[in-house]
Amino acid sequence: MSKAERLQRARARIAALGKDDISVAGVLAFGDPRVDARLPGGGLALGRWHEAAGEGLEAETAATTAAFVSLLAAPLATRGAVLWVLRRDDLYAPGLCGLGFPAERLIQVKARNDDAALAALEDALGQSGVAAAIGEAEEIDLTAGRRLQLACERGGATGFVIRRRPFGGRTKAREAALAAASCWRVAPSPSVPEPGDPGLGPPRWRVALERCRSGGSGAWIMEKSHGAHPLRVVAELADHELAATPAWRMAG
Amino acid sequence: MRRLYAIDEGAAALGLFVGQKATDATALVPDLRLEEADPGADADALLVLCDWCARFSPAAAPDPPAGLFLDITGLAHLWGGEAELGQDLIVRLARSGVATAFAIAPTPGAAWALARFGPSGAIVAEGELAQSLAPLPIEALRLEAEAARQIARLGLCAIGDLAGLERPALARRFGQVVLERLDQALGRATEALVFRRPPTPWLARLALVEPITAPDDLARVAVDISRQLCGRLEERGMAARRFELGFHRLDGEIPSVRLSLAMADRDPARLARLLSPHLEKIDPGFGVEVVTLLAGEVEPRPPRALRLDGEPTSAEALAPLIDRLVGRLGEAEVWRAEPYPSFAPERATRRAPPLSAPAQATWDPERPRPLRLFSRPEPIEAVAPIPDDPPVLFRWRGLAHRVKRSEGPERLAEEWWRRPFAAAAPERIRDYYQVEDEAGARFWLFREGLYDSGPPPRWWLHGVFG
Repeated sequence: MSKAERLQRARARIAALGKDDISVAGVLAFGDPRVDARLPGGGLALGRWHEAAGEGLEAETAATTAAFVSLLAAPLATRGAVLWVLRRDDLYAPGLCGLGFPAERLIQVKARNDDAALAALEDALGQSGVAAAIGEAEEIDLTAGRRLQLACERGGATGFVIRRRPFGGRTKAREAALAAASCWRVAPSPSVPEPGDPGLGPPRWRVALERCRSGGSGAWIMEKSHGAHPLRVVAELADHELAATPAWRMAG
Repeated sequence: MRRLYAIDEGAAALGLFVGQKATDATALVPDLRLEEADPGADADALLVLCDWCARFSPAAAPDPPAGLFLDITGLAHLWGGEAELGQDLIVRLARSGVATAFAIAPTPGAAWALARFGPSGAIVAEGELAQSLAPLPIEALRLEAEAARQIARLGLCAIGDLAGLERPALARRFGQVVLERLDQALGRATEALVFRRPPTPWLARLALVEPITAPDDLARVAVDISRQLCGRLEERGMAARRFELGFHRLDGEIPSVRLSLAMADRDPARLARLLSPHLEKIDPGFGVEVVTLLAGEVEPRPPRALRLDGEPTSAEALAPLIDRLVGRLGEAEVWRAEPYPSFAPERATRRAPPLSAPAQATWDPERPRPLRLFSRPEPIEAVAPIPDDPPVLFRWRGLAHRVKRSEGPERLAEEWWRRPFAAAAPERIRDYYQVEDEAGARFWLFREGLYDSGPPPRWWLHGVFG
């Protein structure tokens, strides 16, 4: 058996092992090989749930994470209903509308605590007719994550969990949810307006794929675009670039 | 001068009457027991009694000082007839020590007259109305005491005597109100009663042989009564959005469960399932003797609305989910944002029922609006050296942000028509800026007030962009 043959066989075995990790519901490609190559199946797995988190103040306001997730979910809104399970009633529909998300059809739900939010999210994901459901929670343990996964498989919907700390809450070490199909970390990034434009450019984010089932990891600068996918990759970041520039600095 | 306000049967037998001077009464009956009248408490008690009557009809209206109207249209069959219904009412009231007379008639006016001046328990059908009212005295027309006395002075003692007179003469002589009352009693004019709840034929009622207290029994009657009402809804091709399940306890209290659904429904199994988690909060007390289920917002619905491809419509598919979420979190916690024409950012959205059809209008995507809007703007310390420019530096929640880029201002003036004209002032003008700090985070700031007039302007942070 030649080396190439052995390698071939090993790859096939690995692919077979990870078969159940490749979504049956299909994928939503970013349309950029720099991102799609890191994701199994060549895009964001549908019928799974994904996690997005921010840091510093962002962990409390969850604005960039909400923007990122709403852009990921926007193409799904044509396939069915979208629900957003909130922990605070501060999601502003005109702002969502400005990002190109059909906010007037979004069903918003407010839950009193994490458990209620995750239960509502699970319920929504298991319901036929729901294309995507977004939930906000501070913590999500392995059991809750598995339950979300089962609900996704039952209903075929795609889930998103935004990690969000209550205002004034204590900072805890965040652990990426193990049951999530992918974990993203999102931070703001300075916009680059057109030359000669004194104002703001389209919003940009520093997006890191921290962990992905049967996929890789990576970091990119993404920008809101009017193309096929609402997110456009502007640049790919090397690991050291990501580590060197913390998104938030304490100033005093 | 103190007069008798109300008397009991014993006092009436001794020859006392309502309106008699208290001193005269005590002179006649030295050991007479007098209590101070409390009309306010009487009115409250009447309302309690009115609500208690929900077990007979959801549409009950108090008629102070001591009367009640019940609309029993279409409900008598639950008792086996109008006479049985009336008898049940009298017996139950007597058991609680309330002496009652009743009459059943096609108009509230006739029922009022017959209950007070007619034979006890009179039941009058549509055709016999004029005939049965004719022998009753003029007071039975619900007139002012003075008007009734004036008519009586002319020798007209009974309602039947008025029927022979010419209407214009009657109106000229005694006032329009006499004609109106006469017409209302005879069904020639309609009368609007103010019911505690709107009348509805969509009421199911289960009278239990033995009072029940066990949770299992409550659950079982909930299923039975759902089946009963839903069967009737199904027969007529109707469905309802609101349901109210009332447990009428022996002591007169009515703990109840209210449900409101995202879409009208009539599936008894689903209804019972939605009701069951609320039943544990019901306190059966010493026992529940009657259970009623009331349907509200009843609307026609064809047997099943299916799309051509056999799939349920999207709203129909989502309705069970919305109902579960509403049941768990409360009706106020599930909504859809809808545009509302207002310049104030905090008023530009309004909550709409989650499954209602979205409005055609939407928000202007070209105006910069934050993704998270704070319900209350947060004060910030800002360094803004140039008037009418955004700050170069601001501090929010202990963090300093150096502004790199900005857009604005967008001037949003206060909606002056909401306040008295004098209260509108330049300091209520807000200049909104969208600013980006060196990390790229975007904020929505505003300056309240103008530089050249009024108090010094203050800076606020109203929201964050994604």
